[in-house]
Amino acid sequence: MPNLDGGHYFFTAIVPIKNDVIVEHEGLRSSPVHMVREALETLPTALQSPEAVKVGIQSPFARSSRTHFARFVVLDQPFFNGRDHSDAVSDAVHQTDLLIPQANDVLACPYLLVMIDFDPEGPDPARRYCEELWGLMPRELEAVFRFCYGFREVRDGKSFADFLLPCQVETTMPFNDYWIGKPPLSSPSRWLVIAPPALGVALPLLAALFHLVRWPTGLVLALVLGLAGVAVDYWIVMRRGARPLPAAPDATLRHVLKALYLQQAFTRFAIAQQGATLPARGAAFRQFLATHRPADIAGPTQAPGVIGS
Amino acid sequence: MTTLLDLADIQGGILRAYGRQGFPKARAFFLTVRGDGREGRAFVERLRPLVTTAARWKDPERGEALVRRRAPRLKDVARAEGEADYPGEVTLVKPKVTLNLAFTFYGLLALGVPVRTLRGMPDEFIDGMAQRAEILGDDPFRDKRDPVWRDSSGENRVHIVVMLNAQMEADGTPVAELEAETQRLRDLCGASGGQVVLLAGTGPDGADFQEMSAVLSPGEHGLAATNKEHFGLSDGFGDPVFEGQFPPALEALRVIGGGKLLPDQTWAPLATGEFLLGYPDEAQEVPGAAMPIEFSRNGTFMAYRKLHENVESFATYIRQQGARYAAIHGIPQAEAEATLRAKLVGRWEDGIPLQAAPTHADWLAFQAELAKAKAARDKPKLAALALRYTDFTYRDDLSGTTCPVAAHMRRANPRDMLDPHVTDPDPKAGDGSALVNRRRILRRGLPYGGPSQGGSGRDSGEQGIIFLAICTNLFRQFEFVQQQWMQYGLDFNAGSDTCPLIGNHPKGGSHHDPKLVIAVEPGSGQRPYICNDLPQLVEPRGGDYFFVPSMTALRLIGTGITDPT
Repeated sequence: MPNLDGGHYFFTAIVPIKNDVIVEHEGLRSSPVHMVREALETLPTALQSPEAVKVGIQSPFARSSRTHFARFVVLDQPFFNGRDHSDAVSDAVHQTDLLIPQANDVLACPYLLVMIDFDPEGPDPARRYCEELWGLMPRELEAVFRFCYGFREVRDGKSFADFLLPCQVETTMPFNDYWIGKPPLSSPSRWLVIAPPALGVALPLLAALFHLVRWPTGLVLALVLGLAGVAVDYWIVMRRGARPLPAAPDATLRHVLKALYLQQAFTRFAIAQQGATLPARGAAFRQFLATHRPADIAGPTQAPGVIGS
Repeated sequence: MTTLLDLADIQGGILRAYGRQGFPKARAFFLTVRGDGREGRAFVERLRPLVTTAARWKDPERGEALVRRRAPRLKDVARAEGEADYPGEVTLVKPKVTLNLAFTFYGLLALGVPVRTLRGMPDEFIDGMAQRAEILGDDPFRDKRDPVWRDSSGENRVHIVVMLNAQMEADGTPVAELEAETQRLRDLCGASGGQVVLLAGTGPDGADFQEMSAVLSPGEHGLAATNKEHFGLSDGFGDPVFEGQFPPALEALRVIGGGKLLPDQTWAPLATGEFLLGYPDEAQEVPGAAMPIEFSRNGTFMAYRKLHENVESFATYIRQQGARYAAIHGIPQAEAEATLRAKLVGRWEDGIPLQAAPTHADWLAFQAELAKAKAARDKPKLAALALRYTDFTYRDDLSGTTCPVAAHMRRANPRDMLDPHVTDPDPKAGDGSALVNRRRILRRGLPYGGPSQGGSGRDSGEQGIIFLAICTNLFRQFEFVQQQWMQYGLDFNAGSDTCPLIGNHPKGGSHHDPKLVIAVEPGSGQRPYICNDLPQLVEPRGGDYFFVPSMTALRLIGTGITDPT
């Protein structure tokens, strides 16, 4: 469920990297994971400072106007921190042989962890995004994924989605950053919560009162149905909790970029108008509206991949 | 139980600034040690008996008058009440010149401190200030550093700093003993056979020491030291107060506004371990330190920074912005300039905080009240006024309409502003200054240059502050404040806006025009004012990270008997 939350899709995939071959590349013999790291390290990042904007070598993800964040991590092995702590008395009673090594988890191969937050579109948003991404940056995706198991079959957007989607895992902890106020979340009403256990207790007791059942039966039924009512409450709360957070208004990437652009433009406008007369300020503001078109998210706006505020 | 520190084991200048103890003149010498370190250790040994500690001395000015020309001091109030000083017998006499030593990591290495001790040293100290330029925001100014710092590598790596602080004659010159001590240092270097070298190149003139002096002004008995720096602003208020630093009676006063704010809105001294190694810190643990523990205990770290001040740019900027501000608000130019200076800093130019006097009229009223109390020698009144220099919080000013949230003083010590519960209607329900307590530094140092010492009064020439930041963890305390609070504004909702006073103000197009927003109360009918197009006001001219050892550690270093096993 939390793959889709707050109006954004939080994509997580863990893709196995080959470790049973030796890669020969530009005269260098190395492991596939080495090549994956090299591809990642040479992948341009977003333009995060004014100096970087001057350099202008932009992250390929900036070609997408739906990508908020993209992160890649190589998982080598889970960290093993020694034997589990145990109680010496318990070990003695159970005659635990501390010389026998404790099992520890290992991965059969390194994995590439892929995390991308994007604006969903259409009925199968993850597939649609994968296909779109392949259309925007096939060379870079190939450089990153070429040494992963199953990548050999990738020919086009559809086969890239066929390759990546089976590796998807459920995102359990999405990070929503665009709600500036409290989201409109409704709590179940007090009566809705009280009703199931109250009815469960009250009905058998009433039945006993009117001699429809005998008192011992009525009391047992009240206990059982009361507990069932609590279980219904639990179900109601969990069902509500599983609902995705509603989408924040105007929180697609294009809205965010326009907002960042407007924030900077308006700051410059405010500085320039300090001390201006009211008519001059009014004229300038009309000019501001005409120039910067606040309602038009198509433009003028901040370029994707440029971090500035 | 109050912590009692072994004052005679702690080097002077840490617990209290020399400038405030009657030593307004100073010189810093930078030395390198060559060879196998034998001569270097001998040099340390010859200086060790001369080192000034924090031990109390008999002060001929002990009975000084309460009423002073400058801002009232809590110390005076406490003394006037006849409170006892730090416990113990006082036998030393106040010296004319003090002497202190500190070492860079490579200095300790050159002096033969064992590797096992050295490996306990923190990473940022091993790196040194030049390696940390990117973190500190020093990158754009690397070529402007003084030669002694530009060349600080290989044979010329700065290893030792020797600081001399001196008393002053009535004509504003240092006492003659300062020159005698200087000559003694030169002689010691000369006698080392080229193994201990006094490095030249402090300042563009190539001098072999960095001269410092408080800014002077005419007083009753000749020239007197002020707490001004070259922009004309008063400096040195609101330093942290930690346990053991002051005698109990004085601590009880100084801690108000100077210590840490507890959830119940009372003040307590910060943990000693934030400023001296070997004591519990604000995390209630004794942090790891270089072994053996007596090598670290009672020592601390110091960031030495030479900060050049673009005096003309500051004056011009205040004049230009002042004209616009005056026109918009319909007030005299002088009032506009004074207000802008106060909003940049968080204090009026005489140090009265905006929190104590929010408007220009309030400031004049405060000054009048102060003058009246001085004239009447009204001690209780003076004590109350002295407290107002530090006794304030930001709970009532979260939007920064009194003191801008991005003003220099508020960035350096946000007090309760970062308390997650600061908006709670119950003022005693919060966390006080818990999020700030591990970011405090002791600011020492003195101005240098200026008109009286050949400074031009323009942007070029020699004028600025020798900034000494003292703390036990340069990374967590000094570097954090410098990087996150001075060179970035996110904690204050100021985006990428840097400190209006000491931050970097690059000219990178209007998208990155550093500015300061002077907020106003919503519904007040006024408009916020934005100080934009801030020029580069302060430029680092070099410096380094130093370990300031205790007297015990100094003996271990000088005699070469550090035993880390």
